[in-house]
Formats: sequence, C-alpha cells, structure tokens
Amino acid sequence: MRLNRKLIKSVFMDIHTQLKRVTMFLADYAATLMAVGTQTSRVARNTGRIAESFGFHSHIMLFSRNVIITLQDDDGRHSYTRVQKIPSLGLNFATNMNLSKLSWRAYDEHLQLEYLEAEFKEIRDKKRESPWTVLILVSFANACFCRLFNGDLVAVATVWVATFVGFYIRQQLTKLHWRQLAVFIVSSFVASMIGSTGYLCHWGTTPDMALGTSMLYLVPGVPLINGIMDIIDGHVLAGMSRLINACMLIICIAIGLSIALFVTGIKVM
Amino acid sequence: MIMFTMKFILAIVTDGLLAAVAGTGFAIISNPPRKALLISAFLACVGHGTRYFFMHFALIQANLALASTMGALLIGFLAIPFAMYIKCPAEVFAFPSLLPMVPGLYAYRTVIALMKMVQSPSVNVDTNQYVVQFFHNGMTTILTMCGLVVGAVVPIFIFYKQSFSVTRTKREEKK
Repeated sequence: MRLNRKLIKSVFMDIHTQLKRVTMFLADYAATLMAVGTQTSRVARNTGRIAESFGFHSHIMLFSRNVIITLQDDDGRHSYTRVQKIPSLGLNFATNMNLSKLSWRAYDEHLQLEYLEAEFKEIRDKKRESPWTVLILVSFANACFCRLFNGDLVAVATVWVATFVGFYIRQQLTKLHWRQLAVFIVSSFVASMIGSTGYLCHWGTTPDMALGTSMLYLVPGVPLINGIMDIIDGHVLAGMSRLINACMLIICIAIGLSIALFVTGIKVM
Repeated sequence: MIMFTMKFILAIVTDGLLAAVAGTGFAIISNPPRKALLISAFLACVGHGTRYFFMHFALIQANLALASTMGALLIGFLAIPFAMYIKCPAEVFAFPSLLPMVPGLYAYRTVIALMKMVQSPSVNVDTNQYVVQFFHNGMTTILTMCGLVVGAVVPIFIFYKQSFSVTRTKREEKK
C-alpha cells in the first residue's frame, strides 16, 4: 500500500513538474512572439503546436500586455496556469520567423524541452540589424516617399535630413528607456521643425510636401496592419488594443507636429 | 493603345522603384530576415506600380482606396509562392511591402484640417470647408488602410493551411 502510494505520488509529481516546466517555457515563448509583433492567431497556433508535441492541450488568452496560458494533460486531471507579462522588445520579424520554424521542428522532431529552451534563448538574443544601417535606409526611404508625392529635389533633401535627425533621436531616446509616446512626440517635433525650413527660408516649390512627409517615417504601419488582420481573424480584443495603441502613437505624431507649427507660426493649406 | 505611351510606362516604373526603396527602409525598422527584405522591396515595387496604374490609367482612374486594394491583392497573391519558396511566414514580407502605400499624407491632412477647424474663431464658411476636408481625408485614410489589409489578407485566407505551415521544413507525411 505504502509503496503503491509512493509510486502514485512520484508519477503525480513527475507529470506536474513536466506540465509546469513546459507551461513556463510556452508562456515565455508566446509573450516573446506577441512582443515582436506577430499576429495573434499565429501566436496561438505556434504555442498550441509545441504543447501538442508534448502531448498536452493548451488554452491561451492573449492581451496587449499579458499572456495567460493553461496547459492540461490528456485526461484533463492535471493542469498548470501561468500569467506572463509581455516584455517590450520592438518589432522583429526575424524572431517571428525563427520561432515559427522552431514550433514546427518541435512538432515534427519531438524535440526535448532543454533543447527548445536553448534554441529559444539563442533566437531571442540574436542581434538586430546595426542601428546605422537602419538609420540610413529609413532616411532614404522617407526621402523617396516624399518624391512619390511629387516633392521637388529640395523637398527630398529636406526630408532626408529631417528623417535622419528625427530617427536618430528616436533611437537614442528609446535606448534611454523613455516612454514610447514621449519618444514619438519629441521625434515628430524635431522632424517637422527641420521639415519646415523649406517654408521658413522659401526654398523650392513644394515646401508643403517637405513638411507633410518629414515625420511620416513614424507612422506605425505594422501595428495598424496587424490590428486589422487580428480583427478579421476573430481576435477582436487583441486587434482593437493594437489599433488603439497605434492611434495613440499617431496622435503623438500630431502633437509633435502641432507644437512645431505653433513654434514656427506656419499656416498650412 | 495610345494610352500605353512610353511616358506612362516610365512613370509606372519610376513609381515602383521609388516605392521599392521606401519599402526597404520602412521594412528594416521591424528587423526582417535579409532574404525577406529583398522580397518585400520587390513586392513593394510591384504593388505600388499597380496602384499607380489603377489610379492614372485613362480607362480606370480608380480612387486611392480601390487602387490600393488592388495593389495589396497582387502583393498578397505573390507573397504565398515566395513564402513557400523561402519558408517564411507570408506576412513577414507582405506587411512591410504595404508600408509605402499606408496613407500617411492623408492622415497628416486629416490632423491639419482638425486643427484648423478647432482654431477658427467662429463658425463660418471656412469652418465648413475644414469639416469637409477632415472627413474626406479621414475616410480616405481609414478606407485605404482597411483596403490594404483586406487585399493582402484575402490570399492568405484562401491558402489558409499552406500559409500557416510554410515554416515547416519537413514535408508532411501521409496522415
């Protein structure tokens, strides 16, 4: 009897510890995916897939700041729940792709948890593109964007400089861990101040385009698209919170712009 | 065939190439894999060129929202085979290639119109004009945004199973 009980206990502990460890890992995994800007249905699918490869059922709730995940064993007698805060990592599609790949590998090759954890850490800590490359490319991108709206060469040059300085400030302030909303106001203000030099000094024929496109590099395109995609997919709450977040950022861009217009006294349109 | 003048074709190509540079730059903020970056530049070029064609071709002359939807639809359909080829989720390069088409300038004009509307001291003819501008630009922004996403997403939903299993490296055996 005593032996039997001990045996039961050891089996019980075993499955519970296992559930716990897998849940901890999956909560981290799902939170990271949400942080790097993956659409919600893909997060749910990837997480469910890894859980399935361990023979567990997963139930997951995804919000903008938190992830709640419950894992259950096959007969539903044991379960483990974890609430995980979503870290702030910034958009990263490389992580998204590699973590998706990892989930299929876990499913197809039945990888061990230790191996998954190691791979996950390696993917998460992979270095991003160098900030200088990003800075230069974004500057050229926004300059081309101005050209697309028929800005003349003076406007294009103004926008290039405005984007370069504005985006540099954004990178530095983000590094100092400022609130994202504040970063957007300051960055938008600086960019539109530089963009308005065309107006102030009467350079070129399209100063309105220079001012109008100088802070458009800040528009949060990916969260907007992700939000609408989530709503179409049925994750309405997650989608709405993404959209509202994006709208807050757009309002901050507008605040920065209006401060710049107030300071320079430009009457547009 | 008088509409297909050399000038028109050249305008489309210029538009596409500018969009490709813009697409690369806006894409790299979200740190995509290198291969996906090239593809998103190509898709941005094709998508924006399509939009330019739909907006300026004499027989169609579509509005911004419709033309953007068409561009996005083409991006979505091209994204699926590319996704299968480089084994990467389609939205990783389909979404960044939509970014040059995001109607930022219209959003800017909406905000400006709102500010002017609030700033005008009394309700007069000018105020009415600002209200009209606000709604015209605002609705264009919203509809274009929705059109972009719906256009890019429809192909993903048509090929639902494929688009969620493209990152699988091992081929599925008989189930």
